[in-house]
Amino acid sequence: MTAPAPVTRPATPVAVGPATGGKTSAASEPVGDTGARGRRILAYAVLIAYALIMFVPFAWTVVTSFKTVPDSVRLTFIPDPISFQGWDEALNGLSPGLIQLFFNSAIVAGVVTLTNVIFGSMAGYAFARLRFPGREFLFILVLATLMIPDQLRLVPVYQILVLLGLVNSNPTNYLGVVIVLAISATSIFLIRQYFLTIPRDLEEAAKIDGAGFFTTFWRVMLPLATPALAAVAILQFQGTWNGFFWPLVILQTPGHWTLPLGLFQFIGFHKTDWPPLMAVVVMATLPIVILYVFFQRYFVEGIAASGVKG
Amino acid sequence: MAGGTATAASPRRSLGQDRRQEALAGYGLIAIPMILFLVFQIGSIFFAIYISLWKWGPLGPTGLNPFRGLRNYETILGDPIFWKAVTNTLYYTVIWVPLTMALGLFLAVIVNQKIRGQTFFRAAFYFPAIASSAAITTLFIFIMGPDGLFNGLRQAAGLNPLFQLLGFGPTYNWLGESRTAMNSIIILNAWTTSGTFMLFYLASLQSISHEVYEAAAIDGASAWQTFWKVTFPLLRPGHYFVATVAVIGGLQLFDQAIFAGGQGGEPNNSLTTIVLFLFRSAISDFNFGYAAAVGIILLVVIMAATLIQRRLFGQAPSW
Repeated sequence: MTAPAPVTRPATPVAVGPATGGKTSAASEPVGDTGARGRRILAYAVLIAYALIMFVPFAWTVVTSFKTVPDSVRLTFIPDPISFQGWDEALNGLSPGLIQLFFNSAIVAGVVTLTNVIFGSMAGYAFARLRFPGREFLFILVLATLMIPDQLRLVPVYQILVLLGLVNSNPTNYLGVVIVLAISATSIFLIRQYFLTIPRDLEEAAKIDGAGFFTTFWRVMLPLATPALAAVAILQFQGTWNGFFWPLVILQTPGHWTLPLGLFQFIGFHKTDWPPLMAVVVMATLPIVILYVFFQRYFVEGIAASGVKG
Repeated sequence: MAGGTATAASPRRSLGQDRRQEALAGYGLIAIPMILFLVFQIGSIFFAIYISLWKWGPLGPTGLNPFRGLRNYETILGDPIFWKAVTNTLYYTVIWVPLTMALGLFLAVIVNQKIRGQTFFRAAFYFPAIASSAAITTLFIFIMGPDGLFNGLRQAAGLNPLFQLLGFGPTYNWLGESRTAMNSIIILNAWTTSGTFMLFYLASLQSISHEVYEAAAIDGASAWQTFWKVTFPLLRPGHYFVATVAVIGGLQLFDQAIFAGGQGGEPNNSLTTIVLFLFRSAISDFNFGYAAAVGIILLVVIMAATLIQRRLFGQAPSW
């Protein structure tokens, strides 16, 4: 971002949309007080209604997980009686149980997050700072992979994994998913962009002190890039935790299923057994909600910066 | 190594050895990611093209005369189920993209106002986008089912006579009938994705300078006029970006379809999309050559759609 901000007067925010009037400044056009207030009330009504549409289904999920099966189809917001049958069924009745599913999701998402941060920071640094022949071409190649639809890769990737022995029932089954998701162009791109904003003086100083390229990267530059690493970690954890397509293709034994895969199987077999299903939905969503509450900024930045991820 | 002088004015002379070390360090740092990209991304395209020319099972070419040339493609283009999948996917994309863009823009404009609780509303509207498609679709199947929350609410609101007129009984299964299955998925995804598009549009809105609005205010433009005559056209780069992302995503509809309709895209193939068709060919029918060819066709369709959009929006104007 080199362009200086355009010279702005101490600007008064003027209404952009249809929903509110210009209430902020005396300089803007005089709007009838009642009209402005009416429009503002309307705006808040719309906002609150839409916020409710966003939240109510999730609240309904939590509520339903504490209902009994006959109660789960009733339109009451307070379970009657409050029951832990659904949770018990999800933990002990489903196969694989909720804890196994949760563990599998955590393993896959955790490892994929780690590899993306490690490989992303290495490659991101190299593409941002080190000069080597073919750098621009290789970087464009990396970005080009964002345009390849995952589904096109289903058959060839499956074939390659079969050749490597990473499909079917063996303990390396997770590894198939991990290797496919180990590094994404988005991670490299985000970290590279961040490194580009760090002034070169620090590296020059490190060089004068006799530090080699790896020491400079590891000791000086990487600690400075923590915000970018955090954004990548959160984006990748969320994406992998929620991921459905590759686990569906690769994880073929129930013992390896992640939460989304478990849901996919259960929805076929337990379609009216809503309380345990909703308990699984709650556990599939809760970790991401917690992350969102604490690290909202990174979610928003990651999305705005990358965009392309489905 | 060191030895550089501290004077900022004299550019450091890079010795040949220094350069070579730097290049080696660079290649070292990118080696593992590049190998993975070359094998699983770039390489897999060529492998897919190759496989698409064969009768290919999960373990390689099968049958007595496995080389098929372009006959996989011919078979696909003559398959009525494939065309059903194409129609469904295009129908979904054509309705879902503008609907979700409009919702996202509407939310962005409202949230961009000077309002109390701006941060809260922005966070709330993005909320459904953070959950997994699996969790959201399971929840949606529950809510839209015969005994679900939606049917309960419309009964409680006394709307059932109206729904009856349209042919929807009191325990209508919205995802289970061909007439409404795809439309329900459209609503589901408009709900979950509108928050994401809101974020894209917010970034775009904030790049518009205040002066433009001041000028409009001085000219006595109403808020409505300001939106349609000033804001909307100035958002053109934003529209282009959001539309491109949306169309690419729409053409790849899969998770919600297979969750609600199973591998058969039930009922009656009404939820069979191109990707579901591809998945079915590969994973259920073990017809890998056929599935690979569907993948290549999908890639061509996506690239064509992207090019058409670039034509439609033209060069982003530099205002």
